[in-house]
Amino acid sequence: MNPIIRLVYRNLTISINPGFIIWQILFPLIYIFVAGYAYTSLIENVPFGTKDLSYPAFLASGMIGFNIMNSTLISGIIIWNDRRHGMFEQIMSGPYTRSDYILSNIVTIGIIGLVSAGLITAVGYPVFFESVDFSIVTIPLLIFASVVGAILFGSIASIISTRLRSSEGFNVIINTVFLFFAFASTAFYPAQGAPQPLATAFYINPLSYLVDIVRAGIFGQITDFVIMEMIFLIVLASILFVIATKLLTKLDF
Amino acid sequence: MLCIQTSNLTKKYGSSLAVDGIDLEIKSGQVFGFLGPNGAGKSTVIKLLTTLMPPTKGKLSVLGIDAAKSPLEIRRKIGVVLQQPSYEMTLSVENSLDKYGMMWDVDKKIRKQRTEELLTSFGLQDIRKKKNDDLSIGQRRRVQVAREFMHDMELLFLDEPTVGLDPSARRDLLDFLKKQVQKTGLTIFYTTHVLSEAEYLCDNVAIINKGKILAVDSPNELKNRFGREKTIKINLSNTSLSLNELLSDIPDCKIELEPETTITINSSNSEIVLMNILKILNQNNITINDLSAIPTNLEEIFLKVVSDSNEPDN
Repeated sequence: MNPIIRLVYRNLTISINPGFIIWQILFPLIYIFVAGYAYTSLIENVPFGTKDLSYPAFLASGMIGFNIMNSTLISGIIIWNDRRHGMFEQIMSGPYTRSDYILSNIVTIGIIGLVSAGLITAVGYPVFFESVDFSIVTIPLLIFASVVGAILFGSIASIISTRLRSSEGFNVIINTVFLFFAFASTAFYPAQGAPQPLATAFYINPLSYLVDIVRAGIFGQITDFVIMEMIFLIVLASILFVIATKLLTKLDF
Repeated sequence: MLCIQTSNLTKKYGSSLAVDGIDLEIKSGQVFGFLGPNGAGKSTVIKLLTTLMPPTKGKLSVLGIDAAKSPLEIRRKIGVVLQQPSYEMTLSVENSLDKYGMMWDVDKKIRKQRTEELLTSFGLQDIRKKKNDDLSIGQRRRVQVAREFMHDMELLFLDEPTVGLDPSARRDLLDFLKKQVQKTGLTIFYTTHVLSEAEYLCDNVAIINKGKILAVDSPNELKNRFGREKTIKINLSNTSLSLNELLSDIPDCKIELEPETTITINSSNSEIVLMNILKILNQNNITINDLSAIPTNLEEIFLKVVSDSNEPDN
């Protein structure tokens, strides 16, 4: 078996447990079906491109991006745990190179990102099926968003995990960063109508771009702005990935 | 065949010299002990030999492979139990063994068979379902060492593998290692602070201090080379005479009285010194209650070699 596949299998075995899977499905479910319908009295319809989406449909599609981001936390946790519990050094003293280790993390977060997106799409489908506009162009867009988003947020989690050794520091920083990404984004609410500073914060946040691309894929609203967002996302993901790789390569024992 | 060969192996961390021009030649099929005080450079040497880090200077070949050219090829043929614990906290003991074997690309059937054998050999059957996170330090250490035998290897590095083990688990591990060497021709590079372990297990040992190798030989040869000075203890019945005065003229020895009725003699001419003392005691009608010679062990040699190297001249 290829060394990268072996490491991916190992990553998935150690990180995926019933608790994680339940949380990954239950949390978005509660959000979509409780918050989504509870807020319809306040937010009736959200304009998106040429369509008017119901708030639950808007939220459910936002939760796909949110879930991709959330699941990539695993990448940071794997690296941090490997360093903390001596497995990074142990793996590096075995039949693996640093490139194998880094690539296996990317494949792991790519798989987790895709599966998460698929799960929430399946769970949220009854909510947004009326507005869905899948086509041969939009499905690759969803896959693109899942993989690039996973690499982007996985790289952020990896960077944090290489810089921090204490569990308190790691948890505080990673939760603060991801909380900012989650709530200062268009995942839960539209940017239109928000106070100007907040609306600006939404668009310096990569999760907003990821969520917009996911929504564009689901509701068939591919505009020039979405293409710009795709370019921004891929450039940012590449930069962060290079930084994460460099930091991982420089980790000493 | 030489298993490890180093020439002027040097490692610097900034301005501090951790490994200072080491030359080593270790033959295959033996247990080679690597002894040294804390901070002597043992773990750094292991990290160099296992290609975890590159040397600052010098040449290194492991299993006939140049470490600078093909580090991965070396790592495919060795096993390493590092000094610090390494484990996956969410896995159970049996899963740890199995997944580790998988990481080494060991066939599933062989993994299953080896897992059972190792669980028995390392006394882990009762805790096979326990998660690593719930194990004691000693149990975790046993899993860490057992895990390494899931895959085939030609050379095994063990960096203080018995830390945290109780005496019986320690002896079981040493016996297991001895058997493996006999059965498979495995070479073991073994570091420890417990000198009796090295004496029990190792065919040859090297003593390192401040990054330099001070001595390399078999434990017996080291004793012959450095252990000429022997210690003899004589316990006497009460006497009114001053032993200090009586024994003051005996040459070539260091005599300590602690308390007044116990004489400790250190001498490289211990037989002659002992004869002289016995003669004096006899002439003065002093009764001997007990006489014992303390055999030279590796620990004394280690302490002597290391303390000599710490002298300002060295």
